[in-house]
Amino acid sequence: MREFNTAPLEVRKTVSQDFQTHPYECGWASEAIFFIHVEEMAGENAQLTATVELSNDGIHWIPDGTRSEIISSKGLHLIKATHFGGWLRLDCSVAGEHAQFRLNIQLALKG
Amino acid sequence: MTKTISGPLELDRFDPLSRILTFDVFRSGFNGWMTLMPNFTQPPDFGTRETVFEKTQVAPVMLSSATFRYPGTHGAMSGNYSLKLSTRPVASRYEEIPVPGSFGHALKRLSFHRPQRGLVQLEMWFSYTAEQDRVAGSDDLAGISERAIRAFGVSFDIQDRGDRYFAGARYLNSVNGELKQRWQLMRAAECTDEEWAYGRKGEWNRRGVDNFWYGRRYPDGRHDGFQDIIDGDQQLCYNETDCKINWLYFRLLFDTEKREYVELQCEDETFDVRGIGFTIVPTYARIEKLLNPNIWVENDTDRRVFMFVDSILISSE
Repeated sequence: MREFNTAPLEVRKTVSQDFQTHPYECGWASEAIFFIHVEEMAGENAQLTATVELSNDGIHWIPDGTRSEIISSKGLHLIKATHFGGWLRLDCSVAGEHAQFRLNIQLALKG
Repeated sequence: MTKTISGPLELDRFDPLSRILTFDVFRSGFNGWMTLMPNFTQPPDFGTRETVFEKTQVAPVMLSSATFRYPGTHGAMSGNYSLKLSTRPVASRYEEIPVPGSFGHALKRLSFHRPQRGLVQLEMWFSYTAEQDRVAGSDDLAGISERAIRAFGVSFDIQDRGDRYFAGARYLNSVNGELKQRWQLMRAAECTDEEWAYGRKGEWNRRGVDNFWYGRRYPDGRHDGFQDIIDGDQQLCYNETDCKINWLYFRLLFDTEKREYVELQCEDETFDVRGIGFTIVPTYARIEKLLNPNIWVENDTDRRVFMFVDSILISSE
């Protein structure tokens, strides 16, 4: 049987500015899916975009080219990561007028 | 019934009591240890209770290869992975209310399964360090951030036979940047529930509950939730750089019949804490026979700090 773990990166967190998720170690895993649950949102043309970033040490990060669709609705969204080494995070940008999102972000790993 | 149990070689570096409850070696996975979260119970949409200290911002626990920016991967004592607790890079001064995210917390949720009460013991091999992301100043050795770790500890949340109590200990490492490096036991000072909750009335966590988060803190390192162990000073093997971790042994032995501490050991030093009783408080609903081991780390400054746990063994007589 494979090891599986879903990590609560951000729990019901309200954001209105760009942010990055907590550096998460995933060297043991071969599959990774970020689940972004938009529980509430507000503002004009509120948009959230998430980019997958990789790291060698949890301190220095570089985008790996994987970007989410533009998230502008409540509900569950996802972004997958492949070939990611030992660390993962999302770099999230928030756009729109007085835009605000309440997010529940989990990282599902399997290995 | 006479039985002979043969175990893995790792057992030889532990000293269990006669019955092993759990033996978790994290190279094989999380083994049921997870991030501590509050209760999601409130209408209309699974909200949490109002509180003076928001508990949803804790950083998630993970399986770590202990990989560092210069030397690469440390691995663990037992293989390549250990359970890692981390804080977010936010902290308050020691005497203030803790900032949400300044703790990393892992626990496993168990219960009593035998009617006898008596000795219970937790042993673990662990290490700790600060994130090696900055050189804090220009003095000699400014690149070592040992002072960034405020404390780490272990506790059991227990509810049994009409009482609730916490049995635990912490290593108070640093208070507002000043090294203290001494062991303390979980016990609540004589204070009100309101004082316990930093002046808030009606807090869910009453006096004697969740000492890691609650209880007034004083600038000299005293804490209404912890009591210094007499002659409890100990310098641990932190090592000479934040990217070197040594595996350290810890043991806490206590008595659930007498409701008191017995021994605390770290590395090769044992502290006799017999006769020091737990703080007994009224029960909460729905947690009868709760036996939850809990580990935490707290930062002292706006840094991520880490605690790595290679393996844990919980046993009883």
